[in-house]
Amino acid sequence: MDRQILSVKGMTCAACAQRIEKTVRKLAGIEQANVNLASEKLFVEYDAASLTLPAIKAAVTKIGYEVEEKSEYSRITIPIGGMTCAACAQRSEKAIRKLDGVASVAVNFATEKATIAYDPAKVRVSAIKAAIEKAGYQALEISKTDAGDEDRARKQKEIRTLWTKFTVAAVFSLPLLYIAMAPMQTWVSLPFPNALAPMKYPLIYALLQLLLVIPVIGVGHKFYTIGFKALIQRSPNMDSLIAVGTTAAVLYSAWNTWQIAHGRFSAVGSLYFETAGVIITLILLGKSLEAVSKGRTGEAIKKLMGLAPKTAIVLQDGAEKEIPIDEVETGDVVVVKPGAKIPVDGTVLEGRTAIDEAMLTGESMPVDKKAGDPVYAATLNTNGVIQFRADKVGSDTALAQIIKLVEDAQGSKAPIAQLADIVSGYFVPIVCAIAAVAGLAWFLAANYAEIQLPIGKSDTEFALTIFISVLVIACPCALGLATPTAIMVGTGKGAENGILIKGGEALETAHKINTIVFDKTGTLTEGKPAVTDVLTVAGIDADALLQAAAAAEKGSEHPLGQAIVHGAEDKGLTLVKAEQFVAITGRGIEALVNGTAILAGNRQLMDERGISLSALEEASDRLALEGKTPMYIAFDGQLVGIVAVADVVKPSSRAAIASLHSMGVEVAMITGDNRKTAAAIAKLVGINRVLAEVLPQDKSDEVKKLQAEGRKVAMVGDGINDAPALAQADIGIAIGSGADVAMESADIVLMRSDLMDVPTALQLSKRTIRNIKQNLFWAFGYNVVGIPIAAGVLFLFGGPLLNPIFAAAAMSLSSVSVLTNALRLKRFKAIRQERVGI
Amino acid sequence: MMKIKKTLKQTALFSLCAALLAVAVGCGAGKSLDVVGNASVTSISAVFDALPAEITVDEATGAWALSAPDNSARFLWAPDYSVSGMHDIMLEYALQPFLEAGLDVGQLPEMFTILGDQTVMIGTKLGDDRITYDGAPTPIASYEKLVELYRDTVGYHAALDHHNVSVGDGNLFEWADDLRTNDKDIVFALNPEPLIAAGVDPEKVEGWAYTTVPIDVNGKSVDVYKFLKPFDLR
Repeated sequence: MDRQILSVKGMTCAACAQRIEKTVRKLAGIEQANVNLASEKLFVEYDAASLTLPAIKAAVTKIGYEVEEKSEYSRITIPIGGMTCAACAQRSEKAIRKLDGVASVAVNFATEKATIAYDPAKVRVSAIKAAIEKAGYQALEISKTDAGDEDRARKQKEIRTLWTKFTVAAVFSLPLLYIAMAPMQTWVSLPFPNALAPMKYPLIYALLQLLLVIPVIGVGHKFYTIGFKALIQRSPNMDSLIAVGTTAAVLYSAWNTWQIAHGRFSAVGSLYFETAGVIITLILLGKSLEAVSKGRTGEAIKKLMGLAPKTAIVLQDGAEKEIPIDEVETGDVVVVKPGAKIPVDGTVLEGRTAIDEAMLTGESMPVDKKAGDPVYAATLNTNGVIQFRADKVGSDTALAQIIKLVEDAQGSKAPIAQLADIVSGYFVPIVCAIAAVAGLAWFLAANYAEIQLPIGKSDTEFALTIFISVLVIACPCALGLATPTAIMVGTGKGAENGILIKGGEALETAHKINTIVFDKTGTLTEGKPAVTDVLTVAGIDADALLQAAAAAEKGSEHPLGQAIVHGAEDKGLTLVKAEQFVAITGRGIEALVNGTAILAGNRQLMDERGISLSALEEASDRLALEGKTPMYIAFDGQLVGIVAVADVVKPSSRAAIASLHSMGVEVAMITGDNRKTAAAIAKLVGINRVLAEVLPQDKSDEVKKLQAEGRKVAMVGDGINDAPALAQADIGIAIGSGADVAMESADIVLMRSDLMDVPTALQLSKRTIRNIKQNLFWAFGYNVVGIPIAAGVLFLFGGPLLNPIFAAAAMSLSSVSVLTNALRLKRFKAIRQERVGI
Repeated sequence: MMKIKKTLKQTALFSLCAALLAVAVGCGAGKSLDVVGNASVTSISAVFDALPAEITVDEATGAWALSAPDNSARFLWAPDYSVSGMHDIMLEYALQPFLEAGLDVGQLPEMFTILGDQTVMIGTKLGDDRITYDGAPTPIASYEKLVELYRDTVGYHAALDHHNVSVGDGNLFEWADDLRTNDKDIVFALNPEPLIAAGVDPEKVEGWAYTTVPIDVNGKSVDVYKFLKPFDLR
């Protein structure tokens, strides 16, 4: 399955998003199609064998929207020197185009620049430059724009355009409103030119209004082109509502202008040009504010993108050369000086330094790096100069993966959005029907029932006012924006705090979690156990025991085994090579060392082999109660001693557990350790439910059992041996580092090893879902209350009639209010240990 | 920038087309955009035609006079403002009904002129323009000059589909735009305030209806009380 993200332009409301989703989902070969109205992105997953991207784009374009593929191509502008005529431009263009991987090239002779779209996987910029040089010209210093910059620039341009349109509309609408309203109101004496007095010069009065409304309609022409097109295609959207409503007002007013011109001067009281003008202006204002707010919802991604440096210094022929980051290839030797950012992922070859990896891992202390250590793009080299080999470039870097993960999450849908999606699909046609029925009903009521109409309004005008008000007050935008904006801000805020939430569903499920199971080793503890005690039976030397046990464990990858090896090495003990090494999952190991059969492992292993532990039973219990893990060692089937290993509890564990308890979440610990050790650790961190002596393969069953109790369970682990349990849990939370985000089984990835991020993630989820619910409440509530008022329900019972202008203002404000509410999430603060007070 | 330019271009183009349409609508109405002024000439001409006997020259002022069918009131307009006397446009009406309703003539403001203890006159001196005509002046030609020179005195009353000439201080002479459809073909409308201030009980004025009407004041439609004397000419 191929996945692509396409930028879609021209969407104005949830109905548009629904329409695109429906259209794309109908295509054969589509697996998934989700539109995020807030980010204006279409996420598609499709079978490339039966469907092509151009076909998807064509389907979307056909229904009236513009599609911009999030280009897999990088764009670059290379200044070219040495061109003397247009033929030179053509020649260099031809030379570049010949290269495999170049999608498009345009050489502008006037600006002496080549703009190239290319696939970095197929062609390097150095090759493009070489082609230019080979053609006889000089490839000069490069300026580069990446997809993020382009997207940003496009959004900025869109915001500027909307503000310009709004300004133009306001410049004409304000005098229009004044001219229309000043003569009509009597509560305050506003100056009004006699030359425009409606009762003296009605045609001039009407024509001036017509002239003033025309530019407003002009700047709002998209409402008409998109709205009527959608209407014709029987998929009306918000634009259709605006277009129909304002067109009705303008046509009716134009008709009355004609009437005035032909002697029916009383028609001067039936002009509604200002209604149309002000509605368009207000909607443009709303759209401008919406665009600004929408831009802010995606700031997290922009921040992440902004972390990467634009250039890198690489060693070429022994000399340092600064090149755009896209030109860095795997295997290049990159030089990073103090204060500079690491441009790509790689392995240190030379030099020592300390690198601030806070942007990826959140760890505030710089990490020492020497030859052989990994370095990651966007991290900061604090002191020494290092040279490293580029291992991962472009979209393979850890940073790029984080960005992709966040982008994917922001494009996903939460189940809570389903109701809004269903309603959006029928919303506009229903509103059109309500408007028509209400207008007609009032017209008939005015004619056949004794309805007292507002002073100065004819039955037609009254019905028209109702019709327009219903159309323009209905706001599908708010419905469409309610969920994605909150998800964007929520997931973005998570990313800012080192919490990568993999999708809307995870975000939604996380808020329901009432039980959290923590893996012990590496999660609650540092995962770096060390030998604390070596106890032997009579006649056995402690060092000899440790030496033999370490030799046997040498081949083990288990943290406890490695701790024994490190313990022996630290004592300077020489380790002989073990033979016949066998790891016994969840129990220990056995191996042959110098002809002695060594068994090292837990009580279960010893019990299974029939080895009596009575000689060291008491000591073992004492060690366990101290939270130490006793590893029993047997030589040739006889217990000879215990090597106790203990892991240090993370500083944040206790505070995180306390925080979760305060949120009403039950916390359990799961471990393969013996019950006493486990209980001791659990007590230390404040956990009262312990699932001990659980084999790795049984962890998922324990999670299942908890789920069977009707609990919503989250499992927190390191994402490696906990994978089945992470997958089984309602929410799998993997604790890792920002450099290792490819934790497939987890729903939430914590980039730092700080456990306080667990309650923070739950809190963020709760806040986001609460925000979504608030948004949906306002969006639904606004329409549920607004539409009947606009339809004249209050007027029916002696209340006021809603002016279409106020309806338009309310409509604009509804989507802005939803966005503003979503942006409140930006104020979310991560729960910190200090705040918990532990 | 390109998009903004494109937007402005589209706006300009659209505006131009629509402006042309607007002008076409305007032109379609006739030679002038002053549809009310033009229609007032046409409609008052119809009134003149309907009341040929009631259009006379007032001997005292030299102005044209249109008398109510019952001779209880007159509307007068001067043919030449350079030679007219106190007023160029004026209303005259019988004093008796107001005296009977309590009017103390001594309390009337200066703008009121009492003519021979029988009639009240109120009006406005518009200017001292010397008005010339192609041929002899006629009532309609003089009215056309009034529209041409002092257009602001001419208005339209949408509620009654009436044209009107304001003779000053809220006193009007109104006539129907279409005599065929209107049952109030001509109306004399008086500002009641100075009369009430001079002792008139508005409910007791015989021959005049005391009621509210929406009128145009400085471009605004305002409901005000008037003494009305309407006539159906059919």
